[in-house]
Amino acid sequence: MRNQLSKIILIVAAVALALVFLYPSFEDYQHRTKLSSLSDQDSVAYFEQNEEDILDARLKRIKLGLDLQGGMRVVLEVDILQMLEDIAKNKDENFRTIISEVRAEAGENDESVIPILGRKFEERGIRLSRYFGSIRESDAAIMSQLDDETEKAVDRGIEVVRNRVDQYRVSEPTIQKQGGRRIIVELPGVKDEREVRRLLQGTAKLEFRLLRDADISYKVMKSIDDFLSGKVEEDTTAAKPAKTEQKPKDALEELLAGTQTSESDTSREAQFTREHPFFSYVLRVQERPQEGFVEEKNRDRVQRLLSRPDVQRLLPPDFEFLWSAKPETFPDGRRFFALYPVKRQAELTGGVIVDARQNVSPEDNRPIVNMEMNSDGSREWARITGANVGKRIAIALDNSVFSAPTVINKIIGGRSQITGLDTPNEARLLEIVLRAGALPAPVAIVEQRTVGPSLGEDSVRSGLSASLIALIFTVAFMLVYYSTAGAAADFALLFNILFILGTLAGFQATLTLPGIAGIILTIGMAVDANVLINERVREELSGGKTLRAAIDAGYSKAFSAIIDSNITTFLTGIILYQFGTGPVQGFALTLMIGIAASLFSAIVITRVIFNIAIDKGLTPNFG
Amino acid sequence: MRLFKKTSINFLGKRFQWYTISVLVILVGMLSLTVKGFDLGIDFLGGTEVVVSFQQTHSIGQIRDALGTVGLAQSEIKSFGAERNILIRTVAQEAGTATGDRIRQAITTGFPDDRFEVLKENKIGPKIGKELRRDAVYAILASLVAILIYIAIRFQFIYGVGGVLALFHDALVTLGIISLADGVIPGLNIEITQEVIAAFLTLIGVSINDTVVVFDRIRENLKIYRSLPLFDVMNMSINQTLSRTLITNGTIIAVLLILLFAGGESTRGFAFTLTIGMITGTYSSIYMASAFVLDWNIRKQRKKEQRAAA
Repeated sequence: MRNQLSKIILIVAAVALALVFLYPSFEDYQHRTKLSSLSDQDSVAYFEQNEEDILDARLKRIKLGLDLQGGMRVVLEVDILQMLEDIAKNKDENFRTIISEVRAEAGENDESVIPILGRKFEERGIRLSRYFGSIRESDAAIMSQLDDETEKAVDRGIEVVRNRVDQYRVSEPTIQKQGGRRIIVELPGVKDEREVRRLLQGTAKLEFRLLRDADISYKVMKSIDDFLSGKVEEDTTAAKPAKTEQKPKDALEELLAGTQTSESDTSREAQFTREHPFFSYVLRVQERPQEGFVEEKNRDRVQRLLSRPDVQRLLPPDFEFLWSAKPETFPDGRRFFALYPVKRQAELTGGVIVDARQNVSPEDNRPIVNMEMNSDGSREWARITGANVGKRIAIALDNSVFSAPTVINKIIGGRSQITGLDTPNEARLLEIVLRAGALPAPVAIVEQRTVGPSLGEDSVRSGLSASLIALIFTVAFMLVYYSTAGAAADFALLFNILFILGTLAGFQATLTLPGIAGIILTIGMAVDANVLINERVREELSGGKTLRAAIDAGYSKAFSAIIDSNITTFLTGIILYQFGTGPVQGFALTLMIGIAASLFSAIVITRVIFNIAIDKGLTPNFG
Repeated sequence: MRLFKKTSINFLGKRFQWYTISVLVILVGMLSLTVKGFDLGIDFLGGTEVVVSFQQTHSIGQIRDALGTVGLAQSEIKSFGAERNILIRTVAQEAGTATGDRIRQAITTGFPDDRFEVLKENKIGPKIGKELRRDAVYAILASLVAILIYIAIRFQFIYGVGGVLALFHDALVTLGIISLADGVIPGLNIEITQEVIAAFLTLIGVSINDTVVVFDRIRENLKIYRSLPLFDVMNMSINQTLSRTLITNGTIIAVLLILLFAGGESTRGFAFTLTIGMITGTYSSIYMASAFVLDWNIRKQRKKEQRAAA
């Protein structure tokens, strides 16, 4: 009996520990059933009364994976190349070619982009200092700087994403870094995925950009139009405004003429499209001479035209077109996107914004977002507005223009406003992203998994029932097949399940659907050690040994087989955990915990049971 | 209760018959793999998949027509568990989750009278799909190597090779049967998903379990019966562990069948793979692993004798 004592203490301690770990899950369950049984008012009162308890239990309970409770998992990849392109100076054709080559190559493998970039430069014999860092620095020094920048960008990206998610108020989000430039975001119980995607993906690069004057804007559009219609010989050096002015017909006139005459409509339209490939899609309106207007359906086509490299070359150095964030509805019911001619260089960026609040415009009751700037920003803003009274400044977020108000007078105090929003919800999202700050580089969604709540509930229900059936079957089988020895094994099996759940809760691990499958499998496998022992004891008994000697021999001889066979299974569990993602890791974890727990319960617990039984003068039956 | 009396079956004497049968089963499986192939799941293929649950039943054709309006008529469309639940999958890659949005839009406009719920939506970028494929291959290779090394250390190198060969056998047979059964058995659509890969790894881990139990007995018996030829020691060891192998694996297979039938749609592929794997695993640890070690030893013995004779 004495030598059993230490083992008994060990077992009791293990059970107590498992129960301590599991208690919060039990508490959480109780709170939740209580909360759902109460009316709205009462439940709020109950929550307030027990807030600390409830939150604590929620934190420590066994967490359910996204596949069981529903929710969304998004993997974002930070576009490092875009960032590099942004910070580079003196960008020229050569640089752009290299960047696009690197982009093509980086798409193929997971290698970090910096070494690829370095290699490409080396192949061409161009020094990195031409575009990055200062002129005296060596390539190696610049590369390590760029590496630093990359790491900072990803870390800052994670911080920004976390800020946004926190302000969006999702319960228990997880945000972690994966590899060099990926961010995994897991949001349980999220319903509106579109909103979340907008929330995560927008860089939130806020810029105030001066609009170019109407005459420059028109000249540029005209030169594009002429170029596309072939009126100008391909001239790679620059657009020549002087040449375009010689063209007698005004595009706007022609457009009006085209729409007014109805009898030969189609042929005239076709001719117009041929002669003016740009102006046939980009309309100009007298009241707003700076912008061009593109019908919603033509937006992509015009964007394709504008992004052609030969068209890009026609643009003056400090000139760029930006689209409006949303289409406007014209009196005739058609919807048009505005194409704003703006300066390439922003006057002011979102970095100066210290606060943003959604509100409702007193004038037309439409949602707006009010922004407040820091003192530096305020001073700059006062200077900019003061110098540009009467001109228009576009407020652009992620290169989409929300509005382009005319500066009426100098603005002191650093206030600005975003208008042109459709819904209060949109204003709320904007408020969040502006407050959380801009992402240092754009991010792309490379993976998204969403599980609806009803599928999760289904999975939990079928998972639980399958576990229960499996448990009942195994317990019954062991009892029938091995009699009292089977009962001891069953006893150990129940402890085993308790240990698995306790360990999961203790590790703050997440239970996933494959994890439940892992528990079910463990139920089947856990008895293996006992089967090995019991078979061995039977052999020894039939060899003529006494019960006590047979049990001793059975345990010691089965031991090496149990250890060797379980370690090999455990090894694959480790590998599975290393290589798998999310749900599969949940499976690997339960499998490994199950193996460890079953070794303990099958070897230690059953042994203690037999020894105590024999000490008490009972004779356990091995069937 | 005892299901298995003390047996003395001559397992290894019939090993050449079993080799032939195994090779045949693998060949049929390979044939099916080359002719019919298997369905790669969204994880490895990349693309977008949406599972929607309708209130009413719609035919696949109707859904295809609706998807045609957004240019996705080529999508794979099939039922998911219940008939009202439809899985739509396309390998088309677009920025972000544009494809998923298009699918929703097509269904919303295509079935205005029916409310639907999105059960799940997955978008896997092309790079991710590729990485997951690579990781799956690495994981399986890594676990085979780890097992080879462990058994080589605990037993002998050749036992490790025998064990791993038996695992190859199990994996190939299972893959072949998945290919054969997929779509043929009603209600069973098996795609190679991450979970199925996890099932393969588990099958590797559990199947080697039996092999190790047999090897352990051989190791023990070799010490006791030093004068007996390896053939007899092995046969004896397999017979002695037979009851345990069948009882344990029977329990596991029964539990897996429960998971297969009661566990719901999401774990079906996993349970099926593991069930098949456990059955072939039971067979291979009885017939394959030890037989290989035996034949290798016989060969070595013969070479030694030839050398001695020469």
